[in-house]
Amino acid sequence: MRAHDIVEGVPTVTADDPVAAAVRLMARTRLPGLIVVDTRSVPTAVLPGTQVLRMTVPRSHQAHPSLARTIDEPHADLFWSELGDRTVGECLPDRPERLAVIAQDATLLEAAALMGRARSPLLAVVGDDGRLLGGVVLGRLLAALSQASPEG
Amino acid sequence: MSALLALAIFAVAFFFIATERADKVRTVLIAAGVMTALGLAPGAAVFFSEQEGIDWNVIFLLFGMMVIVGVIKQTGLFDFLAIWAAKRSQGRPYRLMVMLMIITAVASPFLDNVTIIMLIVPVTVVVCDRLQVRAQPYIIAEVLASNIGGAATLIGDPPNIIIGSRAGLSFNDFLVHMAPIVAVVFVVFVLLTRVLFRKDFEYHPDRVAEVMTLNERRAITDPRLLVRSLVVLFLVVLGFGLHTVLHLEPSIVALLGAGVMVQVTRSDVYETLAEVEWPTLVFFVGLFVMVAGLGHTGVIETIGVWAVQVVGNDYFAAATALIFGSAVLGAFFDNIPYAATMAPIVEELVAGVPDPQTGQALWWSFALGADFGGNGTAVAASANVVAIGMAARTGHRISFWQFTRYGIVVTLLSSVLAWIYVALRYFV
Repeated sequence: MRAHDIVEGVPTVTADDPVAAAVRLMARTRLPGLIVVDTRSVPTAVLPGTQVLRMTVPRSHQAHPSLARTIDEPHADLFWSELGDRTVGECLPDRPERLAVIAQDATLLEAAALMGRARSPLLAVVGDDGRLLGGVVLGRLLAALSQASPEG
Repeated sequence: MSALLALAIFAVAFFFIATERADKVRTVLIAAGVMTALGLAPGAAVFFSEQEGIDWNVIFLLFGMMVIVGVIKQTGLFDFLAIWAAKRSQGRPYRLMVMLMIITAVASPFLDNVTIIMLIVPVTVVVCDRLQVRAQPYIIAEVLASNIGGAATLIGDPPNIIIGSRAGLSFNDFLVHMAPIVAVVFVVFVLLTRVLFRKDFEYHPDRVAEVMTLNERRAITDPRLLVRSLVVLFLVVLGFGLHTVLHLEPSIVALLGAGVMVQVTRSDVYETLAEVEWPTLVFFVGLFVMVAGLGHTGVIETIGVWAVQVVGNDYFAAATALIFGSAVLGAFFDNIPYAATMAPIVEELVAGVPDPQTGQALWWSFALGADFGGNGTAVAASANVVAIGMAARTGHRISFWQFTRYGIVVTLLSSVLAWIYVALRYFV
């Protein structure tokens, strides 16, 4: 089996979309992450769900667990509301990880290896022109592997 | 011909570093690579010559201090102090600003300025957001205070580390010669901020309760880690003070301190090493190779001879030029590459001075100018750039001119005070 056999259509966001909308999209579709694409539909970032959640945490607290601890409970519950109209592009990490992107003809082993290396339960699958074809999610990959195994 | 080529490569690289048109680490590596490949930098001497190669004392001193700071920043001390200060100030803006400046300035002679800014800015933003006041004036004041405070010691500001190593000046030399004027400049600066930021001081008594709900005690989860790391830091500073007696280079003191810090606090070696700013260390290595290229091809000697001819016997004029020239040039370029480039030129100049004390006065003039020049513009020191970036990411954008209009005033004032100090102490 190859990536194109298990690829699924996944909703995407752009760097100009508000973070709040991106998080809502992820919550609504129950996706394990989000793919950020540019205007040509080429993936520019693949964010695991934890990193999408990280975008909602104020920058001042992200690298400072000690500062987050000083915040009282009523305020700690409201950090989400401080997002304002910040965009996905503004909240992306300064030094993005290597893109969790595979070609459509990648094998399941390649997909599993990249998922593990990138710590991302979502991979972007691209065609020969680099444009997004869809995503491979962890659950679907595990199901395909289990199907393909002799005991499956 | 080779001198011109080396100078051209250096100038192009410096242009890219100063204008930030390209990544500075990549820039110095390319320039250093080209200089070495063309034989402009002195082959193996780049690694092994103390005068014509990479200054490993600087690299390992920075490395050791980065490890030490990497452990200290896990303690939550700065969050504790800043929130405590905000509570004590009762939200009164000038009082709050002074307390934050004191925290920054007291820490900056012992810890690297960039780290201090990375620790103090987030908590400042939280406090200002709670008080519903603009965080920009407080952040700018902290940066200016850290650059002033860092000038006091050998380890407080990277230009001092470069100058100390090149000139063979000890930690105590810096304390004796730099700390007094730094203390004066800081006091004057604190008074000046009352005027400089007068339009930015907002006081909302109704918001004070919001600050009082912050729990600073929760910032420190491991008091033993805090105590142990502060004890080790104290011993390291003591080691710096005694390094001439112990016959240990400051870099060795820092490396030993880093090792003891990791052992005593039982920190994870790999996590601590991940905290080291490797790109900064690589930047320094590349920079030293570039400067070695200038030295090897005779550029530095030529400039040094020219400087000696211009100065003649008027060393006070040379000191004046070093203070104000370094302040101006250090303000427009990052003061680290500036100090690395100028240090061998000043060395040439000092070599021609008959009286050692006057020679040292020229080093202090250079250090004061380069350090205080770091406040001149938004790009003059790494701490400024880091603070502005952090402020923007937290929604408190500081423009180049917003920073620079305060920075110029403070640089001018501190340079004039430094000039008076140098004149009275060394030339009267």
